[in-house]
Amino acid sequence: MTLANTILSALRGATANKLRAALTTLGIIIGVASVIAMLALGNGARAAVDANFRFLGSDSIQVAAQMAMDHGQIVPAGKILSYEDGLEMTQQVPLIRSVDMSVSSSGKLRYGRAAVDLNITGSTADALQSVVNQGTVQPVNWPEGQKLTTAAFVGEGRFFSPEEVLANAPVCVLGWQTAQDLFGGDNPLGQEVWVNRQRCEVIGVLTELEMVDPSQRLNNDPNEGAYLPISTAVRSLYEQEPTVNITAHVTDEKRIDEAKDALTQYLRSRHEITQQPDGTWPDDFTLTTRRDVLGAQQDAARTFSLLLAAMAVVSLVVGGIGIMNVMLVSVSERTREIGVRMAVGARGRDITAQFLLEAVLLGAVGGLLGVAVGMLAIPVAATLNQGMALLDPNSIPLALGVALLTGVVFGLYPALRASQLDPIEALGYE
Amino acid sequence: MMDAHPWVIDAQELVKTYTMGSSQVRALRGVSLRVAPGEFVALMGTSGSGKSTLMHLLGCLDTPTSGRYLLEGRDVSALSRDGRARLRSRRIGFIFQTYNLLPRLSTLDNVALPLLYQGRVGRVRDRAEEALSRVGLSERARHRPSELSGGERQRVAIARALITRPAIILADEPTGSLDSATGEEIMRLLTELGREGVTLLMVTHDAHIASYAERTLHMRDGRLLEGGEER
Repeated sequence: MTLANTILSALRGATANKLRAALTTLGIIIGVASVIAMLALGNGARAAVDANFRFLGSDSIQVAAQMAMDHGQIVPAGKILSYEDGLEMTQQVPLIRSVDMSVSSSGKLRYGRAAVDLNITGSTADALQSVVNQGTVQPVNWPEGQKLTTAAFVGEGRFFSPEEVLANAPVCVLGWQTAQDLFGGDNPLGQEVWVNRQRCEVIGVLTELEMVDPSQRLNNDPNEGAYLPISTAVRSLYEQEPTVNITAHVTDEKRIDEAKDALTQYLRSRHEITQQPDGTWPDDFTLTTRRDVLGAQQDAARTFSLLLAAMAVVSLVVGGIGIMNVMLVSVSERTREIGVRMAVGARGRDITAQFLLEAVLLGAVGGLLGVAVGMLAIPVAATLNQGMALLDPNSIPLALGVALLTGVVFGLYPALRASQLDPIEALGYE
Repeated sequence: MMDAHPWVIDAQELVKTYTMGSSQVRALRGVSLRVAPGEFVALMGTSGSGKSTLMHLLGCLDTPTSGRYLLEGRDVSALSRDGRARLRSRRIGFIFQTYNLLPRLSTLDNVALPLLYQGRVGRVRDRAEEALSRVGLSERARHRPSELSGGERQRVAIARALITRPAIILADEPTGSLDSATGEEIMRLLTELGREGVTLLMVTHDAHIASYAERTLHMRDGRLLEGGEER
């Protein structure tokens, strides 16, 4: 019998009892939906980490002060991370190539009689590079897909240099809107402004910037602000020494764990942290690498994925047994049909093919419905996993393949049984 | 090629023994039978006489315990399951008392079924339509068996048996489920086919129906009766 005719026969057989077919495939539907949802969770966790931690390069260690609650206020748990902590890092830890630092606070900027309240950032000279890496803002009308450079962010003048940072130079760089507000149409370069009680020379103005994500453009204006060397900011903007954000870059990505250990030693000795009698270290800082973040996110997703995997396996086995059951019933109901087919010349393999194909067809129907249900279930799965679930395109062929395979595996026994019937008995003699 | 052998069926000393529990049932105790091309033979006997068993052997649905069975000169007594299925799809047509049409297939598809199991693709519909028109049911090609009368269903079954142009058509009580008027119609059709050169072997317990055949054989207790050969 030709394949086309076998498929037709199987189609007729499988659709003869639609309700029974639908109920049979329920297990397959749930199993396939679980596979789709499971892979969406893993995929979602990966995508979330990629999106949220793009700024944390694979060569970076983020250093943060351990915080605690005190009378409803968030305060450092131990010593703060100071500018000096960061400054000496490169000298004391050979595996650290460079260190980015930043602080930010609100403040007042004055020029003549004009004054604006704004967010003031103290940073190292690499601040613009961090902004580029973060990729959340871009110059207005930036061509899509073109690579961002630090130079594109500077409209007039220049950004401050590493030497100016080390020398506490009284210089500043203004955001585009801030320069407009203070100077109108005049050239701000070389002018002196007051940043709180510190006089600074304006050495640069940034390009007009916008958020990359259009939905964020109403809430965030990246053009208001002023940048100072972090050394200058720490001295002049704060009454108490502030805790700074530190990102250390290692010389060799492969030795990042080694660098992390060295950094821990360095900070423990600087902060005079000693080992407790129970062997623990009461560290007042935390070190985070990209791999740490990824690991934590994936751990969370993995627990849930395992649950779904177990559900998928159980459902598919239940679904498979359902298919086997319905096929066995079908074979015994259609014994006479099998006898007639054999009498007019069907060989064993023709009968096997017909019933196997019917079982595979049930699997395929269950698989297709399962993919649909799985895609609908992704938003539900996302709410259980901090919004991290994203359809993995590869999961669709995979899940369909699993459904078809279930049909083959569990349809084989009934199909073989049908093919081994004795034609005389099947025709109803004896 | 067929003319090289004078007999369509040449069965020699066929024995069939079944084991039922601990006892042996000897359904056929040595049956020899020859059927010439174009013959219309009736096989009579009471139930349990072994006529159904003989028909199963001659139809290659089963193999004899001993004896030789030549179909068109070829020894088919020891063919495999698949070999017998292949032979049935090409050289043997069946007509059953209860028609045995597949309820979900149209009349035309029922008739075409043996050709599909031959693995044929070309001209299948044309040949099915031809066979249907031979039994006078061209206008019923799209109907399901359940929409046909008993007589019409048996005509469809006859068309299905005819379509492969078999060496022999085996009919098992072809009128057994029909009223006598319709039964006569079916018998007239079979007689016509016999005149056109189709070889027919019909099992029946009705002497009147058997009288349509050219020759009637009688069976009892697993043997053909002596002297029961000629009408």
